[in-house]
Amino acid sequence: MQEEMSGQDLKERFALIETMIAEGRRSTESWGWVFVLWGVAYFVAIAWASWSGGLSVWGHHSVQVGSMYSGLAWPVTMFSGAALTLWIGLRRGGRHPGTVIGRAVTSVWIGIGASMLVLFPALSAAGRLDEHSFVALVAAMLGAANAGSGLILRWKMQMACALVWWMAAVAACFGTVSQVTVVFLVAVFVCQIAFGVYTMMRESRRQRGCVVHA
Amino acid sequence: MPELPELNPVIHGKLRLAVLSLLSSAEEAEFTWLRAKTGSTDGNLGAQLAKLEEAGYVTVTKQFVQRKPQTLYRMTEVGRAALSEYVQALKTLLGAAMEE
Repeated sequence: MQEEMSGQDLKERFALIETMIAEGRRSTESWGWVFVLWGVAYFVAIAWASWSGGLSVWGHHSVQVGSMYSGLAWPVTMFSGAALTLWIGLRRGGRHPGTVIGRAVTSVWIGIGASMLVLFPALSAAGRLDEHSFVALVAAMLGAANAGSGLILRWKMQMACALVWWMAAVAACFGTVSQVTVVFLVAVFVCQIAFGVYTMMRESRRQRGCVVHA
Repeated sequence: MPELPELNPVIHGKLRLAVLSLLSSAEEAEFTWLRAKTGSTDGNLGAQLAKLEEAGYVTVTKQFVQRKPQTLYRMTEVGRAALSEYVQALKTLLGAAMEE
């Protein structure tokens, strides 16, 4: 068989092996929709909570705020976001292979996500959460998740998102509440919506461009 | 001059090689995912996977998830060893081709 093969044919086989191994490892990139979903969830929560309450309110202020129930904004949107992610993830999960890298990235996000869902209601209930600390903590934790995920995947774009979140965390420690809200909105747009759409487009492009003939 | 190695004909087909390479980095993968990654047709991919299964390089599991049928493929240790041998043979041949 090899008598018929040129050096170019052999190189093509090598390139095919390398490309396919890389494709197998890249299954996490089909999670762009999660970034978009959570970006929208943050926008909804910020808008709802800011309507008549405060950005950092998590439940206990709902009675004081009155008819808008702004205290429910974060708990309702975040738990709905988690339930929706789980539901869509289970429905889509079968289409993607299980990989060690995929499990590592998922572990990072689940760990950080669970920490946020436990910490913020507790801090808010204890009355130890204001707008500055809330945004700074959320941004720092999302920065950590993006950095962990970006390092595992060796993905510079996600590392850039981590940097944006960390800069937002630092910026949130200063300025007025309005400025902190703007910082949060910009970070959510860049690191969730824009990054999620970019990831989805990249995944779609890759699926269209890859054809292997027998 | 040392004898050049034979390339395993089961692995040598481009689509079979692509599938085995994909499965070497993924623990297990569904038929539709393999089809999307390789851009092949149902019939062609099914035929190539059957050959790999016949050679003992992949195993198949059929199950229902939310009442929908799901076909999962997993690379066996025999398949992993065969791919590794194929890559070694490819390297040797490429080295020989470069020397010519």
